[in-house]
Amino acid sequence: MRHVSNIGIMVLAAAVVATAMVAGCANAPLRTEASTSGIRAAEELGAAKIPQASLHLQLAKEELELAKGLAAKGEKEKAASMLLRAEADAELAVTLSRGDAEKSEAQAAVERVRQLRQDNP
Amino acid sequence: MKTKQFLIIVTFVALLAGCATVAPNELINARSAYQRASEGPAEQLVPAELHKAKEALVLAEQSFLKEPDSYKTKDLAYVAQRKSELAETLAAMAADKAIKDKADADFQKQQAEIMKQRKQDLIDSEKRTAVALAELAKIAAVKEEERGLVVTLSGSVLFRSAKSTLLPSAQVKLDQVAKALLAVSARNLIVEGHTDSRGSESYNQGLSQRRADAVRDYLVQRGYPADRIQTRGMSEGSPIADNASPEGRANNRRVEIVIERMQPSNP
Repeated sequence: MRHVSNIGIMVLAAAVVATAMVAGCANAPLRTEASTSGIRAAEELGAAKIPQASLHLQLAKEELELAKGLAAKGEKEKAASMLLRAEADAELAVTLSRGDAEKSEAQAAVERVRQLRQDNP
Repeated sequence: MKTKQFLIIVTFVALLAGCATVAPNELINARSAYQRASEGPAEQLVPAELHKAKEALVLAEQSFLKEPDSYKTKDLAYVAQRKSELAETLAAMAADKAIKDKADADFQKQQAEIMKQRKQDLIDSEKRTAVALAELAKIAAVKEEERGLVVTLSGSVLFRSAKSTLLPSAQVKLDQVAKALLAVSARNLIVEGHTDSRGSESYNQGLSQRRADAVRDYLVQRGYPADRIQTRGMSEGSPIADNASPEGRANNRRVEIVIERMQPSNP
């Protein structure tokens, strides 16, 4: 009897721990750092003023809000999946902003050479 | 038996229908985005990023096989499309950077060539100046003074006594002087007329000024820029010899052409 009772207690304890873990996972907050910092970085790079970049910045913000909404409704997996969209759009917004600056620098460098040649035939 | 056959047919059709499930728009877009990216410069310039895009597409395709209509498949496909677009953007950036780097290198090279040419031009100009001054020294007395290089031409070589019209023989000499001066880089000249002490101050002033003007006019005629020559009638005020002797008086009757030193502000 005692042997059966001990096993029973251990099973019960394991079940309680497992339930707690699942409950804990279910209550884990949404990991929005990557998309939030990506959005901030894009804004600091002036994405709002660059057509293609501002599109993806806007998409990232909307997707982040959708993810938060899904998380509030308890749909954690859907929320996490939507966050992947937000991260991808934020990353693209950042890169497009940098790309715009790179293009401007390249154009300025080419113009500098042209001007030098013109001034010194 | 008939039911069993029917069930097999239904199952087969259901399977076929499953295989023919239309891919969601996100996956269609992801596939064409990857195709476009892989056909562009990304393969050469940012192969690692293109590979990440491919991996993302593979994940989406795998999800599509398992759960064709799920949000997970759509989200993975959306991300895969963005990864392909990211690879294209990074490739464009790499290309722009290469353009910038080349332009910067061209600029440096061009600047170095210009500096080299300028140095050479300066050396050539200095050589020409030295040659010109050596020629000048053969035809006239040339002396370095505080005020500049002074070319002294004897009055009796240039003019008849008490006259300010240039002698024909003077023109030959002045041609040589003009040629030497023109070979030197543009300098400001001051032409000074000097007389001996015989005659009144006002007479000597007038004569020395007219003689300086005559020399100036001739040099301008020969091509020296008019805005770079000034004249001064110095009268008898700056003798270089003793007016008591004929030789001294002859030496004092002269025209001096002062070649001013190059100033930093001189163009």
